[in-house]
Amino acid sequence: MKKIYFIILAFLSIFYVIYEVRKKKFSIKESFWWITACILMLVLAIFPYSIDKLAQFLNIEYPPSLLFVICIIFLLFINFRNSKQISGHQEKIIELAQHIALLEEELQEKGKK
Amino acid sequence: MKEQKNKDKVLFVIPAYNEQDNIEKVLKEIKENAPFADILVINDCSTDNTKQVVEQNNVTCITGVFNLKYAMAVQTGLKYAMKNDYDYVIQFDADGQHIAKEAIRLLEEAQKGNYDIIIGSRYLEDMGYPCPYFRKIGTKIFSFIIKCLCKQKIKDPLSGFQCLNKKVIQRYAKMGNYPEFPDANLIIEMLLLGYKIKEVPVKMRIRESGESMHSGIIKPIKYMINVLYEIVFIVIQNPRKKVK
Repeated sequence: MKKIYFIILAFLSIFYVIYEVRKKKFSIKESFWWITACILMLVLAIFPYSIDKLAQFLNIEYPPSLLFVICIIFLLFINFRNSKQISGHQEKIIELAQHIALLEEELQEKGKK
Repeated sequence: MKEQKNKDKVLFVIPAYNEQDNIEKVLKEIKENAPFADILVINDCSTDNTKQVVEQNNVTCITGVFNLKYAMAVQTGLKYAMKNDYDYVIQFDADGQHIAKEAIRLLEEAQKGNYDIIIGSRYLEDMGYPCPYFRKIGTKIFSFIIKCLCKQKIKDPLSGFQCLNKKVIQRYAKMGNYPEFPDANLIIEMLLLGYKIKEVPVKMRIRESGESMHSGIIKPIKYMINVLYEIVFIVIQNPRKKVK
């Protein structure tokens, strides 16, 4: 019975991500990893013993710890990806600001002439 | 009628990244075959002399502040076309693969007014164009998906050689979520929205120098996943609306 709560939660997560994309608040490209995570959550909710099997295969004695490891790796991955994107955006914003400043100066010079 | 067609404002949009070896030949070919058309090169922050070569040939060149990548470079060209009220845009590659004479055929088909997008297809008739393995698989998969979703056969959904009319130029230029890979996904979206698309068989050349943006193994796989994922969302987002 507990299984059903997690299946509902997984479906709600999927629908929420799709809803945000449809409302254009979230880009299709960025939604990819979240949808992947939601689908993984759904699979684990339907087949909870799969995590036990995987833990057994990886020689992990306490299966729930594998779940935490997967979650932590996923969150770290998303966090690293976000940091990388922020760095890229910062560089681009600086370049744009400098470019606009140079254009403005060029316009002012033309105006004086 | 012919006079009216000649009055149409036509723009060749050419996104270029490090194409100094190919671009001059491409520009000369267009000027010879389509002297009535304007040319716009979007220099996507090339690290070689692409910009200088374009300017030496007296062609309008827009250089981005940073590398925008292919799709956004094309959209920049479409925004320019919308701003300057062009009737038709021909998307043309800077690597010398596309043939200017064939572009005129696409334009003539578009000017008949029955279709919004004319795609130059390599595979509609056997033109002897060699097809790499990955591209062959991709083309077949996407053609099949388009047929299932839109009930239309598009044999070359990965072709970037297209002629767009004003209605499409405006739609693409205003799109806030213009896709990173504007291929089968965009074709599906436009078909679902009720735009009319036709394929015309064209000849294409084999790339002479430089590297394709889909070269290697990882890039085509990433491309496939990306486009397939976008198609899923396009289907969810566009439950068969008709274009006005």
